[in-house]
Amino acid sequence: MAENPIIEIRNLSKRYKGSDDLALNDISLDIYPNEIFGLLGPNGAGKTTAISILCGLFAPTHGEVRIDGLDLKTHLNSIKHIIGVVPQDIALYPTLTALENLTFFGNMFGLKGKSLKSLILDRLAIFGLERFANKKIDSFSGGMKRRVNLIAGLLHNPKILFLDEPTAGIDVQSKIVILEFLHEINNNGTTIIYTSHYMEEAENLCSRVSIIDRGNIVSTGNPKKLVAEHPEFKNLENLYLYLTGKGLRD
Amino acid sequence: MFKFLSAVKKEYLLLLRDKAGIIILFIMPMVLIVIMSLMQEVGWSAIAKDPKVEILLVNNDKDSLGINMEKGLRNSGYFTVRDSVDKMPVTIKSARAAVKRGDYLIAIVVPEGITKSMRSNVRVAVAKTLAGFGMFNPNLLKSLAQKGADTVTIFFDPTIKNVFKNAVVSSIKEFNYRSETGMIFRAFNNEMAKQFPAYKPENIEFRESLQFKEVFPNYVEQEAIPTTVQHNVPAWAIFAMFFIIIPLTGSMIKEREEGSLSRLLSMPVAYINLLLAKVTVYFFVCLVQSFLMIFSGIFILPYFNIPSLVIGDHVTALFIMTVMTALAALGYGLLVGTISTTHQQAAAFGAVSIIILAAIGGIWVPVYLMPTVMRQVALISPLNWAITGFYNIFLRQGGLITILVPATKLLAFFLVSILITYIYRKIKSPLNI
Repeated sequence: MAENPIIEIRNLSKRYKGSDDLALNDISLDIYPNEIFGLLGPNGAGKTTAISILCGLFAPTHGEVRIDGLDLKTHLNSIKHIIGVVPQDIALYPTLTALENLTFFGNMFGLKGKSLKSLILDRLAIFGLERFANKKIDSFSGGMKRRVNLIAGLLHNPKILFLDEPTAGIDVQSKIVILEFLHEINNNGTTIIYTSHYMEEAENLCSRVSIIDRGNIVSTGNPKKLVAEHPEFKNLENLYLYLTGKGLRD
Repeated sequence: MFKFLSAVKKEYLLLLRDKAGIIILFIMPMVLIVIMSLMQEVGWSAIAKDPKVEILLVNNDKDSLGINMEKGLRNSGYFTVRDSVDKMPVTIKSARAAVKRGDYLIAIVVPEGITKSMRSNVRVAVAKTLAGFGMFNPNLLKSLAQKGADTVTIFFDPTIKNVFKNAVVSSIKEFNYRSETGMIFRAFNNEMAKQFPAYKPENIEFRESLQFKEVFPNYVEQEAIPTTVQHNVPAWAIFAMFFIIIPLTGSMIKEREEGSLSRLLSMPVAYINLLLAKVTVYFFVCLVQSFLMIFSGIFILPYFNIPSLVIGDHVTALFIMTVMTALAALGYGLLVGTISTTHQQAAAFGAVSIIILAAIGGIWVPVYLMPTVMRQVALISPLNWAITGFYNIFLRQGGLITILVPATKLLAFFLVSILITYIYRKIKSPLNI
């Protein structure tokens, strides 16, 4: 990796108020342009906390983050222009239509007018939702909502896209459309940081992954190479279980 | 500005799509105004003029005092007098039982011979006075014995309010004083006629020589009698406007819980812009609410035989007070919505705190009827500042100058609430303001 990292994380720690444990414990990581980078880990491992800090939603307790060469603490507003976020929750307004939701979120990035409407209709068409543009979100199925949730995060063609479990709880068809689209935008230059519980999906999609557990990074690398380095495990899921253990998490 | 306007449009659409919310926001305050005005009108009128308050009268005195008291009660316009229960003439026992059951609020028992006793006592008093002038035979005076006062018993339903009870007792005492005074006047005339046979008194009835004129001074110095509507409509309008806190905090917390806020905070838009968009939409909601409530006061209340609300000439002052009250309510709502972590927390705290602020602010009970300590406490309630301003307009016919202090206090409350919200937010989420 000769290129400069697009995301530099140095000694990042996060302790939530009232908690004795660190949600993130002194993690350092570089993510490079055009990667699809997976953050994998069990529930409560620190994945969502890490993404929330990178998006500027939480302030870290300690450590530094630079995104596209900009310090997160001092240049958050500039950073917000180049990132897109697709949260784990369906972060849409149920009583607004798909078009109204997407128009509003597009407006927040400064997009407006006919060009925005045309962009929205194009994206809805890619995800098979053009017929539903004027339907309210609360009439959508789970898979349709998740597709609109994804579109809302990438209307402004972000340089970096954060996805928090984008395929959780949806049917195979919706999952395939989403993953194909992620490949496509990645080919067009978007760096993707993605969390998931689906190891097989991560193994196929990601160029690199970090396995994170109890706030610590326990392994980082190309998923296929990681498995190859541990021949006793036949796939990423087995390696993941070995690294994080089989014990249930909070 | 573009992002702000887009956020305003989003808030407007969210509000528009919430049909139940719209009914609560716009129809309920109108219903509140009508119902509370009706209730208060009946409450006040029970003392003043509503003839539907039924009382039982056991009149065992068939002489002048009993007859006059019954006549007075019937003609007062205060009561509908009943003298039978279950088609049977009312007795002390049946009257007591009827009040005990809650069938009647009041029963009055006038004992037998009360007029005779009073006449006898009056005669003694007059004789004693005339004896002092040597105009009455002292030997005869010895034969006249002063009797103890007779008792008129009044049964009250235990649920009856003190203020109403006192008004009833005062009315009955007033009949008694009039009768007794008239009796004294006639007794003097009779005795004087006996002493001076040439004296031919005219048939003059005793008449009160003092009249009372009720005047309510106001800034325009035009005689205007305040109605309960002038008190009630602004009081309940303020109460309803402050309840904007419930939908406002609901909207804030729903956005937070559904994750839309997190998404928005990851976008290049200032949090304060999003808050101000909410304030803008709910501000117009408050204005429409107050318009509808005033509309109810002017046009709907008369259909219920309640006087129409008179808004007076100071429409600008009224508008400014409405704006300031709306801002104070919204500022408080933003603060509660920001500090609360759940919808239940915000709804419970918001509703209870508004009820407390209304209670201490003089919305339910006038401040002048409160204990001294509570009168001081009332001064800290923004609802008290609001009602002071509205009363200056509706009851004192005051203009802009008279609302300057309460309007400034409400504006300051709004600004302080926004400042605290900002500081709290800056501490809790320093990256996203």
